[in-house]
Amino acid sequence: MENKNVIYASEIRKKYKGFLLDIPLLQIPQGFATALIGENGAGKSTLMNILSGIRLDYQGQVTYFDGTETDVERAKERIGYVGPGCYFLPNWSIRQVEEISGLLFDTFDAARYRKWCSDLGIGQNGAGKKVSKLSDGNRMKLELAAVLSRETECLLMDEPASPLDPLMRDRLCSMIRDYLAEGDGARSVFFSTHNISDMENVTDYCMILENGQIVEQGFVWDLKKKYVLVKGEQTDAEQARNILYSFDGSAYGFEGICLAERVQELAGLDVALEEPSLFQISVAVMKKHSGISIASCA
Amino acid sequence: MKLLQNSDIPIYQQIADQFRNDILSGRLAQGDYLPSIRGLAKELRISVITTMKAYELLETEGLVTAVQGKGFYVNAQNEEMLKEQHLRKVEECLAGAIQAARIAGLSGQELTDMLSALLAMPDDL
Repeated sequence: MENKNVIYASEIRKKYKGFLLDIPLLQIPQGFATALIGENGAGKSTLMNILSGIRLDYQGQVTYFDGTETDVERAKERIGYVGPGCYFLPNWSIRQVEEISGLLFDTFDAARYRKWCSDLGIGQNGAGKKVSKLSDGNRMKLELAAVLSRETECLLMDEPASPLDPLMRDRLCSMIRDYLAEGDGARSVFFSTHNISDMENVTDYCMILENGQIVEQGFVWDLKKKYVLVKGEQTDAEQARNILYSFDGSAYGFEGICLAERVQELAGLDVALEEPSLFQISVAVMKKHSGISIASCA
Repeated sequence: MKLLQNSDIPIYQQIADQFRNDILSGRLAQGDYLPSIRGLAKELRISVITTMKAYELLETEGLVTAVQGKGFYVNAQNEEMLKEQHLRKVEECLAGAIQAARIAGLSGQELTDMLSALLAMPDDL
């Protein structure tokens, strides 16, 4: 397996009142789609803004493309960013976004931009429509159109799926796969999301951020080996509870995630083992580290 | 290639199974390249790491070889090994039949009778 890193960061620290983003080491593998998962307020956008160069007031070092790209301006040319704080000014029209993107980025291809806009159904009633008049979903589509009209090697996407409808989320997954396939190992995608299930089929590597720290990360298949989904009867619930990593009980039985290394301790209990989905793993890890106590319904 | 989402068999295993069949049946010949990892992920609408895992499985089975920067090509298949693979498959299926027969309370004689009867039937069954 290739082990180059598209982004390598060390000793990242950013302090707010009552919050500290503290990441000793961050390695985003090159050639893959990496998902950043975490609760609201966990620090996902802060991290995304640091990596994309939007936020400069932090401590630590970030290097790009396996440390080979030292020129920040060139790095920006090779990286595309989309996010909720749409960087197109509200009074720009769809056509002006095209003109300005052409000025900002060397590789911006206006013909490709127009093709994307028509494929995604933005500005069907003329390209004079202003950015401020677009819905959240269409604004995200416009950002995608602009970023995919450039020759980039890395996409940083902050919550790309959130404003999109199910059809468009599916399309987003295809776009990411197409992007990676065209790069054949040279292109990478890093996105944050709350829509873990929608994005599971396009997630290769996953990082879970809680309270400003990365609490779990790995290739999805390795995580699926590390955690096991356990289901059992009510009579075994109390015994299992002490062994399980996360536990959810009801009047009829229980369900939980167990660390694979502790599964043998469940011997003797009448339980069924399954492979957990990325969503189930993420929820278990987030619950474990969450600052908010979510009462389990036992 | 059809992949079942809600099957007990993991997706990567399903992919490996189908390529294995293609290789063992000769549909993929020695020296043929498997589709690129990211190209296949795109076509099958699954994550890159899943196709990668499938190819790694085929590699550990000795069916394909990875070449840095070029992808995975199909190895020369040893006749003996091919036969061995098929025999193993027959054995697995028969073991399944024996297990089912035990549950149904069939005697060994009844089971072999059933097998002979099936063998005697026309091929299209």
